[in-house]
Amino acid sequence: MKTFVVPIIIKYISHVLEKLSALLINPKICCMKRLCVFLACLVFVGINTLQAQRTVQITGTVTSAEDGMPIPGASVQVKGTTVGASTDADGKYLLNAPDNATTLVFSFVGLKTQEVEIGGRTSIDVVLEVDALTLEEIVVTALGISREKKSLGYAVQEVKGDEVNQVKGDNFLSQLSGRVAGVQIKSNTNFGGSNNIIIRGSSSLTGNNQALFIVDGIPIDNSNTNNSGQVSGRNGYDYGNAASDINPNDIESISVLKGAAATALYGSRAANGVVLITTKKGFNTAGKGPQVKLSSNVTFSTMDKSTFPEYQLEYGAGYGKYYYSDVEDGHPGFEYYADVNGDGITDFTVPYYEDASRGEKFDPSVMVYQWDALYPESPNYLKATPWVAGANGPDTFFETGIIKSENIDISGGNEKTTYRLGYTYFDQNGIMPNSILKKNNVIFTGTQKMFNDKVTVTSSANYIKTNGTGRPSTGYSDNIVSGFRQWYQVNVDIQQQKEMYDLTEQNITWNPSEYSNLAPAYWDNPYWVRYQNYETDGRSRFIGYTQLDWDITSDLKATTRYAIDTYSELQEERKAVGSGSGEFGVGRPDVTSGYSRYARDFQETNFDFMLTYRKKIADMLDLSALAGTNIRRTRSESVFVSTNNGLAVAGLYALSNTIDPMDLPEESLRIIGVNGIFGSISLGVLDTYYIDATIRRDQSSSLPTDNNTFIYPSVTGSIIFSNLLKQDWLTLGKLRVNYAEVGSSAPPLSVKDTYLANSPFSGNSMATVSNTKLNSNLLPERQKAIEGGLEMNFFRSRVGFDLAFYKNNTINQLMPVSISFATGFASKWVNAGEIENKGVELALNGTPVKSGDFSWDISVNWAKNVNKVIELYVDESGNEVKNLQLAGLQGGVTINATVGEPYGTIKGTDFLYHENGGKLVNPANGRYYKSSANDIVIGDVNPDWNAGIRNSFRYKDISLSFLIDMQQGGDIFSLDLWYGMATGLYKETAGLNDLGNDLRDPITYVNDDPTQGYASNSGGLIEEGVFEDGTPNTVRRNQENYGAIGYALDPNKRFVYDASYIKLRELAITYNLPHSLVSKISMASASISFVGSNLWIIHKNLPYADPEASQGSGNIQGWQSGVMPATRNFGFTLNLQF
Amino acid sequence: MKRLLLTISVLILIFSACTDKFEDYNTDQKNPANVPASALFSNAQKELSDYYSNTNVNINIFLMMSQYWTETTYIDEANYDLVNRNIPANIWSRLYLRVLTDLKEAKNLIEATEVLPGLEARKKNQLQIIELLNIYTWSHLVDVFGAIPYTEALNPDNVYPAYDNGPAIYDDLFTRLNTALANLDETATSFGSADLYYGGDVSKWVKFGNSLKVKLAIITADDDDAFSKTAVEAAVANVFSSNDDNCLMAYMTSAPNYNQLYADLVASGRHDFVPANTLVDAMNTLDDPRRAAYFTMYEGSYIGGTYGYPNSWSQYSHISDLIQTPDFPGIMMTYPEVCFYLAEAAERGYSVDKTAEEWYNEGITASFAFWGVADVDTYLAKPEVAYTTAEGTWRQKIGIQSWIANYVNGAVGYNNWRRLDYPILNLPEWVEEYSGIPVRFTFPINEQTLNKDNYDAASTMIGGDLISTKLFWDKN
Repeated sequence: MKTFVVPIIIKYISHVLEKLSALLINPKICCMKRLCVFLACLVFVGINTLQAQRTVQITGTVTSAEDGMPIPGASVQVKGTTVGASTDADGKYLLNAPDNATTLVFSFVGLKTQEVEIGGRTSIDVVLEVDALTLEEIVVTALGISREKKSLGYAVQEVKGDEVNQVKGDNFLSQLSGRVAGVQIKSNTNFGGSNNIIIRGSSSLTGNNQALFIVDGIPIDNSNTNNSGQVSGRNGYDYGNAASDINPNDIESISVLKGAAATALYGSRAANGVVLITTKKGFNTAGKGPQVKLSSNVTFSTMDKSTFPEYQLEYGAGYGKYYYSDVEDGHPGFEYYADVNGDGITDFTVPYYEDASRGEKFDPSVMVYQWDALYPESPNYLKATPWVAGANGPDTFFETGIIKSENIDISGGNEKTTYRLGYTYFDQNGIMPNSILKKNNVIFTGTQKMFNDKVTVTSSANYIKTNGTGRPSTGYSDNIVSGFRQWYQVNVDIQQQKEMYDLTEQNITWNPSEYSNLAPAYWDNPYWVRYQNYETDGRSRFIGYTQLDWDITSDLKATTRYAIDTYSELQEERKAVGSGSGEFGVGRPDVTSGYSRYARDFQETNFDFMLTYRKKIADMLDLSALAGTNIRRTRSESVFVSTNNGLAVAGLYALSNTIDPMDLPEESLRIIGVNGIFGSISLGVLDTYYIDATIRRDQSSSLPTDNNTFIYPSVTGSIIFSNLLKQDWLTLGKLRVNYAEVGSSAPPLSVKDTYLANSPFSGNSMATVSNTKLNSNLLPERQKAIEGGLEMNFFRSRVGFDLAFYKNNTINQLMPVSISFATGFASKWVNAGEIENKGVELALNGTPVKSGDFSWDISVNWAKNVNKVIELYVDESGNEVKNLQLAGLQGGVTINATVGEPYGTIKGTDFLYHENGGKLVNPANGRYYKSSANDIVIGDVNPDWNAGIRNSFRYKDISLSFLIDMQQGGDIFSLDLWYGMATGLYKETAGLNDLGNDLRDPITYVNDDPTQGYASNSGGLIEEGVFEDGTPNTVRRNQENYGAIGYALDPNKRFVYDASYIKLRELAITYNLPHSLVSKISMASASISFVGSNLWIIHKNLPYADPEASQGSGNIQGWQSGVMPATRNFGFTLNLQF
Repeated sequence: MKRLLLTISVLILIFSACTDKFEDYNTDQKNPANVPASALFSNAQKELSDYYSNTNVNINIFLMMSQYWTETTYIDEANYDLVNRNIPANIWSRLYLRVLTDLKEAKNLIEATEVLPGLEARKKNQLQIIELLNIYTWSHLVDVFGAIPYTEALNPDNVYPAYDNGPAIYDDLFTRLNTALANLDETATSFGSADLYYGGDVSKWVKFGNSLKVKLAIITADDDDAFSKTAVEAAVANVFSSNDDNCLMAYMTSAPNYNQLYADLVASGRHDFVPANTLVDAMNTLDDPRRAAYFTMYEGSYIGGTYGYPNSWSQYSHISDLIQTPDFPGIMMTYPEVCFYLAEAAERGYSVDKTAEEWYNEGITASFAFWGVADVDTYLAKPEVAYTTAEGTWRQKIGIQSWIANYVNGAVGYNNWRRLDYPILNLPEWVEEYSGIPVRFTFPINEQTLNKDNYDAASTMIGGDLISTKLFWDKN
């Protein structure tokens, strides 16, 4: 058996070394980073080869002091190691402890943890006492300060690292979804894409509403560098958000600080809540050598067909039946002007240059020249083929994705020193052809105690390299999936497109312009796009810190920390010679080929110094106080540059290969400096009454220099009333209340006006006045938050809940408010506006069954947030701005902040309604009437509530857990259906009407006389609605041509869908190999798991797409165009521990 | 231990001492705080021409409004859907944000610059040229919307600018035009090569100013004939005298400095437009040789797409190659255009040196010359063309021929159709909700939210914010 394990270890180690050496020789890493990696290597190499240790078998029984009954599932662990076991149904355990083990730790939820000296015994029985105040739970709070959870006056919810590490994905944020009440995560379907994370609602009108990520006290940049065109739904790529660099393998625990009181010490940037992550650290292995953990995962992804269109398969290419007017020939939907085969006779051809399916009805007996008859390389060159639906639809374009993830984790130490080295390799192939994402992540953390253990130095270095290839494009134009969902011919066989691409590696598209001009009309061969027009990107990131903790006296402690988060990223986009024309590069002109580079360097440093004082006075008063300073510098610099008017030489992706001289690059440099000082004081009386107060003063470089400081306080209080009631059934009862204010600074460069330089014209410099008027009198914006909560646990914590209520108002918002264009500006920076968020969060925990070999735990999270824009901007003379448009999107819809409405309303055209509520139909043509105004609120992107239910079951060595995640409410405008219905792609656009005739048949009347009623062979449909007199509609609506339904002839409102969903987010079954077996091969533990994610969308109301899909993270949500289908992921994980 | 304390103290001092850099942090290091006025002026000229010479369905649909062209598959704009793509807002965005603001800033910078006495005349000329472009732009905005924010516009401190009515704006524009013309000094220089229209040639600007005066006077002639008569007669001696005086933007061959028509027609790779049957049929009737410069042939003849209906791109004439070259000039105002105004002036009884027929012939002749088409005499001799024998009133004759001559200048074509009611445009009946060809554009929808009180007042002032509300100069 040993011979089986060793090769695996050797394989891992050599793999790690190979990756590390690759990192070392990477020229992009600066010297300092290289040094860190090198040091990490040395430590790694220095680790002794693993050796089998002698073990001692210890057995015993664990019983409860309360009733004397055995406790199944109690944990027994060798202190200072991860060697352990759990008790069986009879409370018995069997443990193979290392022969030098000294102490065993027995624990069980709701009972007091007990440490027992082994003292040479081989049989140890233990009686566990009930823990009166079970929740001596320690949680990490702001600035990394560990506190007893019971003493806190605000809501904190913790998630264990294991929970977010079961499913292997490109962004661990997805795994947080449904686990924390009040945290709304939108995991979009873009491969490697960004996730929107909003805590307790959006509070800033135009600023960043994403939560702040802090890892071991270091703020981690979570920028989304998707460009403005991509964000507002034009073409582009979703490059993901930078917090996805955080490696779930390294996470020990996550603590979510939701309210302003919890985050007040972090200052201005934490107004949106904080996700506080603590990484795993080394520990004292008492000279027994390191602990090694290996984990290997393979996951498969397949398209979830419920999130992809179902096509009609009755009609093919064309926008209608008007291409050939001589109806005698019977094919008005075909063209009849070209002699394709050269026999001197004009041929019927398909309007292949069109990207819709409202043409001729399929008829296998009709032979017609299609796209494949035009290319000499095609087997059907100059051949007519039967007019039928494509044998392989766009769903066959998607492949099975594979994720491979491997992790090695080595940790250990002694009394003075600890260390941990982790390395993870992640490799994902998406369901789109040629989409690849790779990540290498290496982390080293070490601690050293010195000066008589009074000083501890901690250092950590984390290097992350992420490389993407072929991310799917997003948005309306130049996006394969928007083609599939909006603009397509169902007569096309997608596999035939693949064959043609594989054969020729040319852009042989189903959509050529003309038979005499084969340039693509609108759409390229999708395989050409995937294999030629792919992007590549890379991010090379270093996160590190050095921290010094000094116990000056037993009560007074000083901490200094210097932390850096820095990365370089490069995004290269390509458009190969021979592609169809599309927006590309600087200034987004239409070109048929090109190459662009977006390079960005980011750096943030934080220097913190803190003094903390803790004192217990007379056994009844706990006092702690803190004072500190934070000095932050953030610098972000980018350059975007591209070829102009195409590539001179095909296949050479270099800027010098530009045809015309390059247009001016887009450059940006943004620097922020914040100097903060803060203090807090906490008092606890009799372990029952607690009060905390904090204050912070920030000075920010992005505000006008003469007025750039602001101060904000918080105060919290709590009472543990269970200590007063002293009831057996009540394990814990706590009431808490708090009030906090948080100030926020302006974005940099919003104070002083500048001009913008445009490309020179014939040697003349060109400049323009910016469209945004800046403001030299900006003040900080301010959030005022009040929160109350009740936390209760019953019956030795078998059941418990945590209930929170809050109300946050963000006032004096800094924003570029839209103003009349007649002012000469599109927007103007002002301090104005107020958003209110109020809500309820409920977390329930319970253990319904705990007997024998079986246990069942359940946790439920539920949160409702109500968001309202109270005010936008009122000028001196009392004129009020009532609407702030966040984005104007394709389809004529806008996303807005409107006074009196929730933040993020969808506006557009609506139906007209009868007073009885029915939709008014125009008796002239059977269509719905459409409002003339296009600024009517037709949707709200905010959900009514979110919830998650997690169940976990354990039976002997097998455990099963699953998470159901749900959202109620929230709206989405589907551009996919708005256009796709018009172009006749979806199955609803064909089939039979109420008379049993084809919907798309012409409308006919008895004796051709409309007054005599419809003929029995009439096509068209009768929309559900009423006439102006309130009677039901009886007029048929013609369904023959483009726009017969959807698009401009229907109100936008028709394509607004409810975004509710219920998803089986995660399912994991784990089998822990029996200890008796594992110990024989010198392992401490081994397990194998089946893990699935997004396996089943149990319920949704949006047809053919995932309601969570969007163009990316940010404030512009509630609009879908060309979104990727969702994937079902399932795989296996092997975990080994030595 | 003491060393440690010392180190920490020093570190804190170092870090907390650096707020003096905060001013620099918040100063944009990548965008200029100062630019020469000429850079703003050149930019405004290019933006104005880019706006005027494009056929982007989001911005400029005057080629459809004048029925020079029609659309192939996506026919919303040919069916006058102004709302779906927010076209009115995009026009405001282009002209207020990109043209008028930059002109205003250039003017402010020039006025604020002290110059040596010898350069006073240049400075003065620069200010007048800016003024001429302003007048050109404002009058276009009035012609499209009927009323616009004018006196209170271009001031970010007043975010609720009131609208002025068209007649009042035109009155002021005439005053400004007279002042500008009176202050232009042909003996001095102006912007030099930074003037992308005339290379700084002040004498050309004098002609431009006078031609513009004729244009504005003729546009408003039905409203105030006596005023227009005075204005035209004062200007006629100094208007354009040949195609050499044309106000053109000499585009270059590469992005972003090529003609925006090229961007929309060629670079886009799209086939959205074909010549409309309205124009092609009219020219076919006249056997007009300019068709070869205007269109391509389809199977040996000129066939226009049916206006407002879906048209298969493959089966109609296309826009000529000449117009689709990247450096095809941006046409701001031409000699033929002015000739037809003067023909009309003659018919109105103004004293304009030549007769209506002479100006009419001159306009057609200059148009042939502009497009490089020969044999104008044969054309002029045709009974359907010859001024004395051509069908209809002077409004019809001049309406048809100026329409043909002003090809691709959609805004002028649309203006002339509204004033003269010729040519007879086709009614697109594909969209059943169709209710008449718009005689003005509605105000931008965002004005209803951003400037509501003034929007409401303006709607009342002009008789309703509708596409059917006639402009003050549109009397028939």
